[in-house]
Amino acid sequence: MSGTASGPRVGEWVVLYVVSVLAALVLSAILVQATGGQWRPVVNALLDGSIRNPGRIGETLGTAAPMLLVAIGTIISSKAGLINIGQEGQLFVGAAFATYFGFLIGGPGALNVVLILIFGAIGGALWAGVAAVLKYWRNVPEVLSTLLLVTVGGQLVAYGLSQSWLLLAPLADRGNRNQVSSQLAEGNRLPRLEISGNEIPFAVFLGIGLAIVVSLALSRTVWGFMLRMLGRNPRAAQRSGVAQTKYGATAIMLSGAFAGLAGAAMLAGGGFAFGNYQLVPGFSTNIGWTGLLVALVAREKALVAIPVAFVFAGLRTGSSFVGATGVEGRITDVIQGFLVLALLVPPAVMFLRDRKRARDAATERT
Amino acid sequence: MSSPGSLGHSGQDHGGTGSVEPVPAVAFNNITKTFGAVTACDGVDLSVHRGRIHGVLGENGAGKSTLMKMLIGLVLPDSGSIAIDGTTQHIQSPLAAASLGIGMVHQHFSLVDALTVWENVALGEAGKLDPDAVRNRIGDIADQYGLMIDPDAQVGSLSAGLRQRVEIIKCLRRDPNIVIFDEPTSVLTPDESVQLFESLRHVVAAEGRAVVLVSHKLDEVLHATDDITIMRQGKVVDRLEAATADAPTLARGMVGREVSLRSERAALGVLDVSADPSDSAAKPSNPNDSAPVLRIQNATARGIGGVALLDDLSIELRAGEIVGVAGVEGNGQRELGDLLSSLLSLQSGTVSIDGVQVPDGKSGAMARAGIGVIPEDRHDSGIVLDMSLAENLVLVDQSAVARRGFIDGSALRDFAEKMIDEFAIQCSGPDAPMWSLSGGNQQRVVLARELSQQPKVLVAAQPTRGLDVGAIEYMGQRLEAAAEAGVAVLLISSELEEILDLAHRIVVMNSGRIVGEVDRADANLESLGLMMGGANA
Ligand SMILES: Nc1ncnc2c1ncn2[C@@H]1O[C@H](COP(=O)(O)OP(=O)(O)OP(=O)(O)O)[C@@H](O)[C@H]1O
Ligand SMILES: [Mg+2]
Repeated sequence: MSGTASGPRVGEWVVLYVVSVLAALVLSAILVQATGGQWRPVVNALLDGSIRNPGRIGETLGTAAPMLLVAIGTIISSKAGLINIGQEGQLFVGAAFATYFGFLIGGPGALNVVLILIFGAIGGALWAGVAAVLKYWRNVPEVLSTLLLVTVGGQLVAYGLSQSWLLLAPLADRGNRNQVSSQLAEGNRLPRLEISGNEIPFAVFLGIGLAIVVSLALSRTVWGFMLRMLGRNPRAAQRSGVAQTKYGATAIMLSGAFAGLAGAAMLAGGGFAFGNYQLVPGFSTNIGWTGLLVALVAREKALVAIPVAFVFAGLRTGSSFVGATGVEGRITDVIQGFLVLALLVPPAVMFLRDRKRARDAATERT
Repeated sequence: MSSPGSLGHSGQDHGGTGSVEPVPAVAFNNITKTFGAVTACDGVDLSVHRGRIHGVLGENGAGKSTLMKMLIGLVLPDSGSIAIDGTTQHIQSPLAAASLGIGMVHQHFSLVDALTVWENVALGEAGKLDPDAVRNRIGDIADQYGLMIDPDAQVGSLSAGLRQRVEIIKCLRRDPNIVIFDEPTSVLTPDESVQLFESLRHVVAAEGRAVVLVSHKLDEVLHATDDITIMRQGKVVDRLEAATADAPTLARGMVGREVSLRSERAALGVLDVSADPSDSAAKPSNPNDSAPVLRIQNATARGIGGVALLDDLSIELRAGEIVGVAGVEGNGQRELGDLLSSLLSLQSGTVSIDGVQVPDGKSGAMARAGIGVIPEDRHDSGIVLDMSLAENLVLVDQSAVARRGFIDGSALRDFAEKMIDEFAIQCSGPDAPMWSLSGGNQQRVVLARELSQQPKVLVAAQPTRGLDVGAIEYMGQRLEAAAEAGVAVLLISSELEEILDLAHRIVVMNSGRIVGEVDRADANLESLGLMMGGANA
């Protein structure tokens, strides 16, 4: 374990990933075979669904974009030493904000789309802000409050969706369906770019752009410097003028803002993945949780989160094709679980080793 | 100075190649370890024998801790082998080391602040916990080695010296028969260390254990050890018998040049100070009657359960003077440092700089007002281990390297390179993560930062902790230079001779208050000792 990140470390990472993904694939194959299926068609279906079939790359990218946005936000808060695990709720609340204000303001085209995104971010930030207030006013650990707020947020939005003065669409727009909002007007949706048969949603560019911005902000700005100091040694930060309340609350709210932005982008981006430009119960479809995993695997590096989000999205879009091979839905879920685990194991192994060795050796007790 | 157990040894052969020697407890054979471009250990041969205490000396970054970490399984050697009692062992983890009976007291603390002393001591123990048994064991060890401690105290509230005792007790509790001490006494008082090593000497001789002691205190090494190995830049440069060695030889061997008498004294311990209080007494006590730069008035702070941490403490510092704070550890020195680091809020009282009150406990306020601090435990608030060396040099103030909210990478690098040069910080470069630096080099980073920021007031708490003899000398010069340049220096130290060496004026702390004040010219060890004990002056 030489101290630097380059050199043998890269090799170790590659080996770990190859081994654990292979293990997951072998386990999955055994599972498929054992339950009377065929593994080869399953693999084909995974690849077809994620990248091979026409248009699927665009679909995967579109799925990856909100995951990436969530992950970027998570990276901001974890750099400040805070554990926000409520992205699923912040995303949903953000989407609800976006829906409500999008229709409230109405108006034409591009400007309204931007406003929808902004309100999504505000919604997510406010929801995460509740956790910040609880933490800095009442000492409630954010890891608890953010998690609990997922449930509360879900209930609140569900209530909103049942009230026509809030989110529920007028009867004429929703037919006999309950708990749906109106559809965003054609002109209020995020544009898509067509590249060789793939429709690439605008959110993809937004996500990549923001990943670059955040990566720079964290590593190059004084603000990022202070945030990192707070995360790594709060007492040194306190002495140096990084007020925990101010910087910590900002970090939590920013991470909520990114989740809310993801929600708004899903709403205005629509597509196969995220439905019909309207808010429905269960709208967040685990994108918040998955984004959290993306951040975990990317190990606090916003730029690394870009490919990681694509891989996670590919698992999701690919799995949707596996059902067609006759393999039971529950088996597909298990396979997806294996593969997600395979992506999480190497960082966990390295983390444990880093702590035990390099850090133990040199840090906590030189 | 030989221990009874060492009489039978010829002392001629410490390389482990002899045939009349008993099999060494530990034999490092041609051990090499590199970290990137840095060779921490370079073909080291070293044998430690049962019944003897083996001192390891060397400059900061010489590779002492790295060598010891290989014995305890925290670092794996690149090449070479380690034999325990004649059998080659591949020690892969501290657990494996423990099963071989090897225990280590590390240079930096590894205690959990939120737990009590006995909980920390029992931490990592398998099986069912018996609190009373642990408490009793702590009591036994405390008696035997003179390491008194309250088993039920919360570690977070302990001073560095007391924490060090806990670390030592934690190691000794498992009755290791090969014990490694990596600078265990850097925060212990000379008396404590004398007592500790007296007791160890008996145990070592009686039970045939082997002890390795890494230390920068030459006097301690001379008195406590039997064999001495000196390392420089990863290599063993000398092997001596303690009985035939003296401090100047050791210093020369470590640093590769003569070291001045004063720093020798600082490294040597109290014993020699009594010999000549005269030359530093020649230092004029500060005649400067200008308005105080720092004024603390009636500061009172209470901890959990209403214990007074600071008790109506008042002190004034003028520009250009060095004021020494003497006192037994744990009498509010740490809290005084914390107060001036914005880490402690007062119940009552004020702190002002140049007559302007500075809000206490408000993040960054003290630093902005011009108070630099070298904290007693650098890992606590002095550095951020997970940031780079260069970043650690601008922790408190980035303005010199920032442009419109962005950190200018090349300005930062230039500044860092300048500091690395000036303070002789050994590292792989400005981007080296802070945790990869040796203990003494981490301390140099703190010094470099706090001194380069041109503070009005500089609080130096145990500033020489972990520094090698050469660096201690340099440190003293820098503190004096700072004072001459008009900085008001508050020197908090558990080493009286350091205070007697540098301070113009000495105050004594006891139970969170200032109990006495003397001019350097009128101070002597006896009167200070009395005041420290609580007798009012
Ligand atoms: N994990 C690591 N990664 C990179 N470099 C390291 C690592 N550990 C130690 N080093 C380097 O190896 C050299 C020797 O370090 P070591 O900690 O052994 O010194 P030391 O003799 O204990 O010094 P000190 O007296 O300051 O404690 C130093 O230059 C240090 O920067
Ligand atoms: Mg060391």
